[in-house]
Amino acid sequence: MNALDFSIAAQAWPYLWSGLIFSLSLTAAAFAIGMVLGTCLALVQHFEIPVLAQLVRGYVAVIRSIPLILVLFWFFFLVPIVLGHLIGNGRPIPIGANATAFITFGLFEAAYYSEIIRVGLRAVNKGQFEACQALALSTYDTYRHIVLPQVLRVASPIILSQTIILFQDTSLVYVLSLTDLLGAASKLAQLNGRLVEMYLVVAVTYLAISSAASQCVAALRKRYAVATSR
Amino acid sequence: MPQETVSNTAQTAAIVVVENVMKRFGAFTALNDVTLRVGKGEKIVLCGPSGSGKSTLIRCINHIEKHDGGRIVVDGVELSHRVADINSVRCEVGMVFQSFNLFPHLTVAENCMLAPMKVRGLSQAEARDRALGLLQKVRIGDQADKYPAQLSGGQQQRVAIARALCMQPKIMLFDEPTSALDPEMVKEVLDTMIELARDGMTMVCVTHEMGFAREVADRVVFMDRGSIIEEADPETFFRAPRTERAKGFLNQIIH
Repeated sequence: MNALDFSIAAQAWPYLWSGLIFSLSLTAAAFAIGMVLGTCLALVQHFEIPVLAQLVRGYVAVIRSIPLILVLFWFFFLVPIVLGHLIGNGRPIPIGANATAFITFGLFEAAYYSEIIRVGLRAVNKGQFEACQALALSTYDTYRHIVLPQVLRVASPIILSQTIILFQDTSLVYVLSLTDLLGAASKLAQLNGRLVEMYLVVAVTYLAISSAASQCVAALRKRYAVATSR
Repeated sequence: MPQETVSNTAQTAAIVVVENVMKRFGAFTALNDVTLRVGKGEKIVLCGPSGSGKSTLIRCINHIEKHDGGRIVVDGVELSHRVADINSVRCEVGMVFQSFNLFPHLTVAENCMLAPMKVRGLSQAEARDRALGLLQKVRIGDQADKYPAQLSGGQQQRVAIARALCMQPKIMLFDEPTSALDPEMVKEVLDTMIELARDGMTMVCVTHEMGFAREVADRVVFMDRGSIIEEADPETFFRAPRTERAKGFLNQIIH
């Protein structure tokens, strides 16, 4: 019977580290793109902008009913062909695995974040809007300084959960032959036969990062607790 | 008496003119052919049973509710559907709500500074100076950097008054400003309002605080079922209401 041998993990760390960096940067980029785009999508629906609101609703519904792995595939294989027909001579224009991952994750997460923000927008007290009107604040200032900050504060736990799911979903990039944290571990595990050690190390890493993120948000919420409790 | 001279000049220079205003919510008529003139510096107390349209009326004056018919002119600007008209009216009309409606994520000072900076174009330093000055005036200068939730109800409502005053409005509207307060906090808010009245502010107050009405009101306007039923100076109104409905209402609130 083989005893657990974690020295193998120490040797493997540089490779795992590069996988982890990829996972984290993909998460950060998808979070940034997703939040900015998601907020725009939510506002388009909130303001009931004609035609656009219907299109956004359709987009969100479609994205949310398809597995991310399928979206990754489609984007990787179909978008080059579409681009080729649109701007080229019909020959596919490759966009590369990395770009595919970043764009797809961003667009995918935007749909989820937009739902969270859309619900948050509806939860803002009517009196807040009336106070802004009474002070002659423009619609832009009302949303920029009063409504959205409150939405983000109220929705931050749900946004965090979604972001932790996003962080774990980055492992799906294996379908594009990209190497994230889990991908790196599984490659090494197959090379050196130390499956248990490798997967344990990876699990602990995911756990540490996810719970650290939770702690951060809990601390932030505590800081703002006085401001939000009424 | 100085108060009488104020109310006499008030009749000549109306700053708010409400003429034949109609407002419906679906099948319900909230305001039915309401006409009211408010003179510069005049203090008006609006009272009446709940659902009588008094809140709706003052909410129409700064266009938080859109009137369906008639005319509303505030400081020479008629409220139309033009955003520019609506905003120029709102700049001159401050409003205090029953539920305070402070911005919970901003400090007391920031609550007061936002609109003067964004709408009036004040610098941050100017806005803070003005905010601190007015917070001092409503006697909560030392709470400027707290969040609203850290203050008592009475203090929050005084912040709301200071926030409205920071826009330097010509008219102040009060929509049942003491109804959501614990009894022991009503007085501090009313005292603030009385002080404001003494400074010569034009005020339209929806309130059932009859002591306040007696002390500052030039006119009490009694509404019922969307119409103005009776208008009189407070002494006359409380001592000898003309209509049965006003008598019934006064009996109910005084017991």
